[in-house]
Parts: sequence; structure tokens; C-alpha cells
Amino acid sequence: MASAAHSADPASPPSRRRSFLSSWAVNIAIAFTALRTNVMRSLLTMLGVMIGVFAVTLAVAVGNGASEAVTETINRFGSNMAILVAAPDTGDGPPRNTGVRGRLTERDLKAIEAEVPNIRAVAPQLRREMNLVVSGSNVTSEAVGTSPGYGVVTNQLADAGRYITQADVRSAARVVVLGRTVAKDLFGEFDPVGENVRINGVPFNVVGLLEAKGSTLGDDQDDTLILPISTMRQRFVGDGLAGPDDLQFAFVAFNQDASLTNGKDDIVNVLTDRYRVKPGEVTPFTVRTTEEFVEQSNFVTGILQAVLVSIASISLLVGGIGIMNIMLVSVTERTREIGLRMALGARRSAIRNQFLVEAAVLCVLGGTVGLVLAWGSGVALENYADFPVPVGIGTALGAVLFSAAIGLLFGGYPAIRASRLSPIEALRTE
Amino acid sequence: MRPLVETRDLVKTYELGGETIHAVNGVSLTINQGEYVAIMGASGSGKSTFMNMIGCLDVPSLGTVLIDGTPTERMSSDELAALRNRKIGFVFQQFNLLARTTSIDNVAVPLIYAGLDTVTRRERATAKLIDMGLGERLLNTPAKLSGGQQQRVAIARALVTEPLILLADEPTGALDTRTSEDIMAIFEQLNASGITVIVVTHENEIAQHAKRRIEFRDGKVIEDHAVKDRMVAHQPEDEAA
Repeated sequence: MASAAHSADPASPPSRRRSFLSSWAVNIAIAFTALRTNVMRSLLTMLGVMIGVFAVTLAVAVGNGASEAVTETINRFGSNMAILVAAPDTGDGPPRNTGVRGRLTERDLKAIEAEVPNIRAVAPQLRREMNLVVSGSNVTSEAVGTSPGYGVVTNQLADAGRYITQADVRSAARVVVLGRTVAKDLFGEFDPVGENVRINGVPFNVVGLLEAKGSTLGDDQDDTLILPISTMRQRFVGDGLAGPDDLQFAFVAFNQDASLTNGKDDIVNVLTDRYRVKPGEVTPFTVRTTEEFVEQSNFVTGILQAVLVSIASISLLVGGIGIMNIMLVSVTERTREIGLRMALGARRSAIRNQFLVEAAVLCVLGGTVGLVLAWGSGVALENYADFPVPVGIGTALGAVLFSAAIGLLFGGYPAIRASRLSPIEALRTE
Repeated sequence: MRPLVETRDLVKTYELGGETIHAVNGVSLTINQGEYVAIMGASGSGKSTFMNMIGCLDVPSLGTVLIDGTPTERMSSDELAALRNRKIGFVFQQFNLLARTTSIDNVAVPLIYAGLDTVTRRERATAKLIDMGLGERLLNTPAKLSGGQQQRVAIARALVTEPLILLADEPTGALDTRTSEDIMAIFEQLNASGITVIVVTHENEIAQHAKRRIEFRDGKVIEDHAVKDRMVAHQPEDEAA
């Protein structure tokens, strides 16, 4: 039997610190007891948060994946590069009629090579869809008429046979280097090096195969073929151009440590001089850098991501409202328990924390499952749809913390309502 | 004599359908340390309202409650919670144990709010349950316990913070006669060990165990006297009442 009563505070000072942690442990234990009491209800409530976190996490990951894919594509293509286009520069907006005709010539490119420092390689280009035929097989692909520099600039050389050479360009040789996809479609498993192929009716000799680069975002970088630019001009596109050495595009690759911004400015200065463009006039050429493309595409994927995340957030919001709803029910059902706890000495903050923890536990459990599902879907998308969906540690931590925050936000009102109950009113509730 | 509970002109009114009801209407009394008091009265006499006020669960409309010499009317809800936790143990008619919760964890609840760590909580709860003869029932949930056992768990919970006052509201109302006797015997032992026991009841047999009877009617104390000889209490006319 109890010894004589004493009124000393039973909490001795050394136990205070440990008790702070243990009071949270107690709240988590109480939360799990409450959730076990209504398993079905708890699961359904968690489902809301689960779907919300799943949607938001996947939206973030898809956005990150898209921007990663674009960056990767550009890097694979050659990162430190200026892209010149024989078209009037109409800024970042859609093309509009400026009355200026696009120009860009091989002589321009020679001048750039001579005057601009830090250039690693240049690649003049004429491009056209071509029809390739080999004894019954028929393939359409985009041909690039260019110089040997193209292999350096695009970081894609021949790994069987050889690449086109300066001699091929000088003699306008009918030689072609095939991308792996084109080669496979035309020749199957048969080695095409040394074979002949008719390109738009003209016979060509296959001298090499490009190294495989794979595809990103459905853009197959092996679905291509390389011809000498002189051959392309004489045989296929010369008539449609403004002058005898006109180009459609040119790539200028800079050394890795060179400033791309300075390089672009230098190129623009050389071309502006050559075409005598006055300040304020529209230039007949357009110069962009890979940096600018990355920035622009990041801007676009950023918008895409923002839209996706906003839509996904609505489902998380609905999940949060579900949490609030169920916590209000839980508080009402357990009014008597709240009264009892108050009678036994629970402060308002203790009651509030108990229900906050319960809401947070619901959300974190639901959120974790949603996160795992999002991660699984990401892996599946990456493996089967060739689309990178990286659910990183940051995204994962963010998702779990975010779901806890949803719990605290939407559990806050029911929890505060519970803590404001009068002990005797609560105890009297049947 | 150390006055543990003092009330001065205690009034509690309710508004009901435009009418003001005086549930407690000017009660002044003192309960000293070591007393065993039965608060009697019919349903609606104000005895429960009075008990809720001296238990600091309800706030008086007028007047003052002093617990262990400290006035309570200016205390915040948190200060009142701490006061209940340290000085008052409650025993309820319906036991009010947490379902799906073991005896130990039920008894340890007040110690959570006292800020004790898990190990100390378990130790003290176990000791109190053993005191109550429930050493074999430490890990049972209420559903696995008889009514008498549940009420003993509730008493262990009321005592686990070593309070000065034990407040019991119809503690045997949900129990059969034999079990009721057991519970009342526990109260007597507790009182003998120095705890001040206040029992609210409408049953004479239960009140006979107390040393002092306070009777309420219409919100006022109509009788307040010491019980002379508790052994002679079981008289036929009382039984019939």
C-alpha cells in the first residue's frame, strides 16, 4: 500500500531532458494505437496523402528528368559550341518576316576560323532528308553534308571503317558514313563497310560507321548519315541556295576552358562586319550557343515542371483536407479521452501535440508509401519508356518533410480545437 | 490541521432555456488533511458539480476554491493541469481507462504529464499496480480485466503521482456489492496511510465507510457531520433509504 502522501514534484531535474524526447515517443505510440483502432479509416486517409505525394514527387522527377535529358543531349552533341544558322535573327520569339534573307557561307566560316581565338573545330553543314536504297531495303534519314570537323564538334566519329576526309570534300567523293540505325535498317547484321548504297538515286560507297550514341527523349542520334559537303552541294542541294558556297548551318566548337559568351560575341562581330549590318538592323544570320539552348530548354522544362507540380499539388491538397476531416472525427470520437487526459494533468499543449503527431504520422506513412511508388514508377519509366525520371535523395526527403508539413498544417486546426476543450465538458461527453 | 480543500461562497450557475440554474449555491467548507469525506445527495443536488470544482476540472461562477492553501481562481488552464497532476487523484464511476492500452501504460499516463522518462514511469506504475494486487495483470488491456480489477487499475493511476487528495465520483456505481466492498476497503486503507479521501456517492452503504458526511440538496449543504461509529452504520432503516 502507498506510503504517506507527499506533494513533491515527482519530476526530478535530471529526467527532464530525456522526458522531452520520450513525450514525443509517447505521442507517436498513442498515434499508432489510435491508427490501429481504425485500420480501414487510417488506410483510406493515408491513401489521399499517398496519391498526393506520389503525384507531386513524380511531377518534380519528370521535370528534372526532362531538363536532365535536354542537357545530356546537348552535352552528348558537344557542349562548348556555337550554332550558326543562315536565317535572320528574330530574337527568342517565333520566326517573323523581316524582309531580310538569311545568309551564311563557307567564306564566312573561314573568316571566323581565322579571326576568332580558341576555336577547336568548325563544321559547315547542308542538311536534307534522303532516301537510301540497297537491294530492296529502303530507308529515309536526314543526311548531313559537312567537313571532317563535324565528327570532332559532335563528338561522334567512325568506329568501323573511316570518317569522311578533307580529300573526300576536295574531290566531292561519293562516300558516306552511316549511323548505326540507318546501317541496321539497310543491311541488318551484315557489315556495310565497302558496300554500295543509292542515295536519292546516286550510287555511294559506304566507307564507315558512326559510333553508337543511343537516343534521348526519342531523338535517335544514330539515325543519320554523313556526306562530304561538296558532294551534297553538287548532287543534291546546290540549286536551292543563294550562292555557290552558301551553308544552312555551321557549328563552331571552342576549347573547353574558353568563354562561350566571348566566342559568340567574336563570331557575331566578324559576321556583322562582313555583312555590313548597321546597329539596330536585323542580321541575316543567327548565332546561338549550347549554353543558351540549355538555358532556354531549362526555362521551358521549368514551366512544364511548374504546371505539372501545380496540378499534382491539388491532389495533395485534397489529401490534406482528408487528413483534416479524419482528425476532426478523431477528436470528436475521443473527446472523453481528451477530458480524461486533462483531468490527469495534460496541458493544452500536450493534447495539441498528441493530435498533431497523429496527423503527421498519418501523412508521413502515406507520404513514404507515395514516395516509394513514385520511385518505382520512375525506375519503370526510365527502363521502359527511355525517359529519365530521377527521384533523388533531395526529392525523397522533400516529399517526406512536405507530407509531415501537410499533416501539421491540416492537423493543426483539429488539434487546437481538441486542446481548447474544457476538461469537464470533455469528460462528460458520452 | 492542514486544510487541503477550502471553498468560500462557492457558486456555479448554468443558463438553461433562458433560466439561470444554481447548481451550487454558496458553499463554504473546509476539508483537512487525513479526512475521509462522503459527499451525498440526490441526482441534481449539486454534489457532482461541487466535486468537479474542488477537483479543478470546472471553474466556479463565483467564490473561491483553495487547494492546499493556494487559491485557484486566477490560475491558467496549464497551472490547473499541473495542480491536478500533482495534488489530486481522480477515480471515476466508469473507470475511464484507455482501451487497447495495458495496465502499466494506463497507470503511467499521469506521469507522462508530470514529465518523467519512460523507465521511471514504468517503475512507478508497476509498483502501484503491485500495491493494488494486480502484479499478475500488468500487461492486460482493460477488456481482459473484471470491473473490480479495472477500478483498481484506475485507483493505481490516481495514486501514481502520490497526490494529497483522492477524489472518487461514484467509484462503485458500476460494480457489484462484493467488489464495491473491496474497493471501499482499499479507500479505507489509503485513508489510514494518510491520503485525504473524498467520495461522491448517493449510496448510504458507501457513505458509511467515511468519517464525515456532507449532504447536498438544491446546491446547498444541508448536513455536515462526523460519522460517530462506522461499524453500527449498517442499520435496516439506512439500507431502505
